[in-house]
Amino acid sequence: MIKFQFTFAVCLLALGTSVALGQNIQGSAHDFSNDNWNTTGQICIVCHTPHNADATVTNAPLWNHATTTATFTTYNSATMQATTGQPDASAKLCLSCHDGTIAVDNYGSQSGGSHFISGGPRIGTDLGNDHPISFTYNSSLASQDGGLHDPSTTNSGLGGTIAEDMLIGGKMQCASCHDVHNGSGFAYLLRKSNAGSALCLTCHDK
Amino acid sequence: MRRIFFLLLFLQTITAAAQSIVDTPHNLSANGPGSIHAGSETEICIFCHTPHNSSPCAPLWNRNNPGQNYILYQSSTIEAAPGQPDGASILCLSCHDGTIALGAVVSRDHLIEFSGGITVLPTGHANLGSDLSDDHPVSFIYNTSLAAADGELTDPATLNGPVQLDGQKVQCTACHNPHNNIYGNFLVASTHYSDLCMFCHQKNGWNGSLHRVSSASWNGSGNDPWPKSTYQTVAENGCENCHQPHGAGGAERIMRHLPEENNCLDCHAGNVAAKNIQSDLNKSYRHDVFAYTHIHDPEENAVSDIRHVECTDCHNPHVANGTDASAPVASGAIEGVKGVNSQGSAISAIQYEFEICYRCHADSPEKPGGHTSRQFYQTNVRLEFNAGNPSFHPVEASGKNGDVPSLISPLNEASIIYCTDCHASNNSSANGPHGSVYSPILKFRYETADYTSESYQAYELCYQCHDRNTIVNNQSTNFANVVHRKHIVDLQTPCNVCHDPHGVQGSSTNQSHLINFDTSVVSKSTGRQGKLEFIDSGSFTGQCYLYCHGRNHNPKRYI
Repeated sequence: MIKFQFTFAVCLLALGTSVALGQNIQGSAHDFSNDNWNTTGQICIVCHTPHNADATVTNAPLWNHATTTATFTTYNSATMQATTGQPDASAKLCLSCHDGTIAVDNYGSQSGGSHFISGGPRIGTDLGNDHPISFTYNSSLASQDGGLHDPSTTNSGLGGTIAEDMLIGGKMQCASCHDVHNGSGFAYLLRKSNAGSALCLTCHDK
Repeated sequence: MRRIFFLLLFLQTITAAAQSIVDTPHNLSANGPGSIHAGSETEICIFCHTPHNSSPCAPLWNRNNPGQNYILYQSSTIEAAPGQPDGASILCLSCHDGTIALGAVVSRDHLIEFSGGITVLPTGHANLGSDLSDDHPVSFIYNTSLAAADGELTDPATLNGPVQLDGQKVQCTACHNPHNNIYGNFLVASTHYSDLCMFCHQKNGWNGSLHRVSSASWNGSGNDPWPKSTYQTVAENGCENCHQPHGAGGAERIMRHLPEENNCLDCHAGNVAAKNIQSDLNKSYRHDVFAYTHIHDPEENAVSDIRHVECTDCHNPHVANGTDASAPVASGAIEGVKGVNSQGSAISAIQYEFEICYRCHADSPEKPGGHTSRQFYQTNVRLEFNAGNPSFHPVEASGKNGDVPSLISPLNEASIIYCTDCHASNNSSANGPHGSVYSPILKFRYETADYTSESYQAYELCYQCHDRNTIVNNQSTNFANVVHRKHIVDLQTPCNVCHDPHGVQGSSTNQSHLINFDTSVVSKSTGRQGKLEFIDSGSFTGQCYLYCHGRNHNPKRYI
């Protein structure tokens, strides 16, 4: 009986964990398999290819989508200590749909697509009214700012430190907050719940 | 053990400095600790910030511009030029002017519901409204040249403490940090001893001022001078004894009260300060500060051109101190105020006490009239006390008469006295002429009505300096025994009938010894040489032409 209870409890625990982590891209906002512009009916193909991928963007993950060439207006603030530049690395890949300059159906060998992102998800090329990205976030920035947690020592709530879990190459990117594959199942593909502004307060020491 | 203590101290410091917005009233989420919070929304940052599509861009703002036309702060003494709120200030006002619902954020297409049915910020001290004339000015450029023009502001180039400018401008964020409430009211520094104010304001004389260091506290009687403060003493309350940075009753110069005197009487009414000025000001004859409101202006001419009186005409609360002085030098209580000197010229800071009095009682077109109808009528007291006159009470300089036997030691013929030696509150611990039961604001009784029975009390003012026995009983000179005694005691003629106490212009033959007759009592002698005249014939001798009390002197000689 005791053994049964223990097993049951472990099962429940596992189930609970899987509810939080077991979401995936299927059925998410990034699942385009049923969109009529995606004639392949595949999910991954809009962004990825197993062979002959575009390696223009450093560390691009088997990239299969046309990449934006836009010049972006970056966020600027008198009280910001970080140094932002043009979006780079994975952020540039996100913006290859979300800046609205490249059609979502320009993937693989396809060009001349006609479906452009619209509404809230369309960030545009003016990133001046968006949270800054593609900047190095390290201990020295945190101490200079005074209102940021030290990413190398602060727990992200995702298992490790902020630097380990949320920064890519030491930088804050779109993927610091958003999980493009919907691993957690939170609204806006957030990496973690923002109830109580928990996501914001992971980094912001306000 | 000591190590543990320091560790604890360190931890406590960290805790204080690291207070999170989560624990402040600016946490408007459903879990916020304040009385105003959302019904179910749990996000905190969202009420002000959004990661995408913000307006204005920095600091990722999530609220609309109120679009109000604000009534701006105005003051005759401000050198800065506040504009319509901009920068960080207009962001704060998107809640704090009370025009936009707290739950109206750009990133949501619906209003975030607040508990208790609250929509906009409820009326109260945090709701500034769109009339900012009673609030500390914001949205003005504060640069080195402003500091130089003002003369009492820190050069902003040296601001390296918690007070920071938004670009070049003072905004709400100079004093407030919306994310941190460890000092209360989201202030960036403590207001204890007005530390926060002092980062920018460097008032001339303040370091030596009694108001800066006074440990006086409320004795429990009368009004609590600091109903909104937790500090217990004058020094601790500092600027906020008189000033209120928001919702100031007096608006201009953010004074707590519009009637100027009330800012002083909050404490000078027997409840805090050692001297009860309120009780003096309630007496019949007073410098009637209650009769005027919003006429006095720090920028007004030294020679007063509009009749009024306020505490600050004679006192500079930033400078006032307890330094004693000897006549004619101004004491600390009246240091740092403007005046008019013996030549009639305006001066920015008095050296002598009488220079304050000359603002209103000398060359002012609205100076008060005299109390006695005189043979030589003069209401400009500067001209009366002029050291070139044949006689005067020694206010500007030592008197002209080198032989005054009635003077009570330590006074002698070289002594100088203050206006306030005669004109002051009666029976008061305060030295100034605030109010008296004796007209015209005299420190002691001074009868001027004809046929007054002589007594020490009747002429108590004169007898403070002039020995009564010497004046009316002294047998050694014919003058005291006959002239004074006969006139004052026997004929019941007040001192004031023959003597003009301030001074008399004219010749050393006819206007010595302050002789200037009260024409309501004394008139021209009758007869062939009929005239009204005093002739000085030397030491204790002279003659008079006059008619008085039914007697004709045509002339009468005194030898």
